[in-house]
Amino acid sequence: MNNDITQTITRIAEIIINELKLEDVTPQTFDADLDLVDEVGIDSMDLATIALVLRDEYGIRIDEDDYPKLTTVRIIAEYINAKLTSGE
Amino acid sequence: MKTVSSLLDDHWHERYKKISKLNIRSSIYDVTDRCNLRCKGCFFFSSNEHKAASEEKDVSKWYDFVDKEMERGVNLAILIGGEPTLCLDRIEAFYKRLPTFCATNGLIKVPRDRFPDMMVGLSLWGDVEDEITLRGQDTFKISSANYEGDPHAYYLYTITPKQLGKTENIIKKIEGVGLKVHMQLLSNDEAVDGFSWQPDELVAVRAEMDAMLDAYPRTVISSKYYHEVITTGKMLGRRFGWMECPSVTDAIDKREPRPKRLTNFIRWASDLKTMHRCCTSETRDCSTCKDGAAHMSWVMVNKRAHMESTRDLQNWIEVYEMFAKLYQFIPW
Repeated sequence: MNNDITQTITRIAEIIINELKLEDVTPQTFDADLDLVDEVGIDSMDLATIALVLRDEYGIRIDEDDYPKLTTVRIIAEYINAKLTSGE
Repeated sequence: MKTVSSLLDDHWHERYKKISKLNIRSSIYDVTDRCNLRCKGCFFFSSNEHKAASEEKDVSKWYDFVDKEMERGVNLAILIGGEPTLCLDRIEAFYKRLPTFCATNGLIKVPRDRFPDMMVGLSLWGDVEDEITLRGQDTFKISSANYEGDPHAYYLYTITPKQLGKTENIIKKIEGVGLKVHMQLLSNDEAVDGFSWQPDELVAVRAEMDAMLDAYPRTVISSKYYHEVITTGKMLGRRFGWMECPSVTDAIDKREPRPKRLTNFIRWASDLKTMHRCCTSETRDCSTCKDGAAHMSWVMVNKRAHMESTRDLQNWIEVYEMFAKLYQFIPW
């Protein structure tokens, strides 16, 4: 499970770095607990874009009502893993 | 990677956190095709938008419509023309369930027993002389009597080139009746002689707007960065225009590449079916558009572009705070 979550975190970090064109950070150095809104500065449109990529990547739907609670890469990874486990 | 806290000190970071999660989703609604004024330069009439659709008169359909808008995620209803206060029942359909802003010429007083805390924006186009030239009467005399001291009302002062050197008198008058003011610029859609902005006038009005903000900080709700963007038409080296505008109706937005924009934004006509192109006149040249809301939204949707320096991010925060105050998401 830990290995799974680590892989998911790294992949989500990679997606965010690519989509937001973040500089001076790699998927490995991205702090998984960094607040995406309060620190990285992403907004709802960024989140919607990232959600689309995650949907294609993992085959899950991220409900727009869930955006406000998806505040860090780790939380997003746990959310995705929970969805995959429950088969939603 | 630049983070918010690496760019801001504690004071600015706290200000940022108060607005960063607001997630405002606005749309604009024409409440009626009618108005009790006919102002020269009003885009609604000059571009024939009052003829675009026949207004829905069944109030129950307005309630149904608001339900659907809420399902669409709208959390701020901006009500505009014709003159919304001619149709209070329709305003109420929004106000009862959504944060609602109502733009009005102020000739009709919104009854506060029915709409106790609805934010009202009172349009004002200059001093008595300009008001009579462009609008046929001195609306300030009536609107200020209707709304004096109202904590949920402010003036939307549309500055014209003829107002250069005279804005302080207007600001003082507004302060004198205990109201706030937000400044914007006339786009002069009907090309009224002498009311189109020249480059030197835009430089001068920016300096004048800055001076008003410095001199009347408790009355003027604005930011110097907003003044810069609206007078130059530029933000971070980018020029405002069709390919940058954030307030194009979502359903008709086929732009490629798709710019940063207001999520799910639509400007609805009063038949509740027809969608207008954008937040302002469909016939307006986007490259010379001076719409204040479009320019402040342009800044707001481009947050990450403002994370290159501390000053840029502070500018972004000031513009966002200005918007949030004008629509009551944060206090004055």
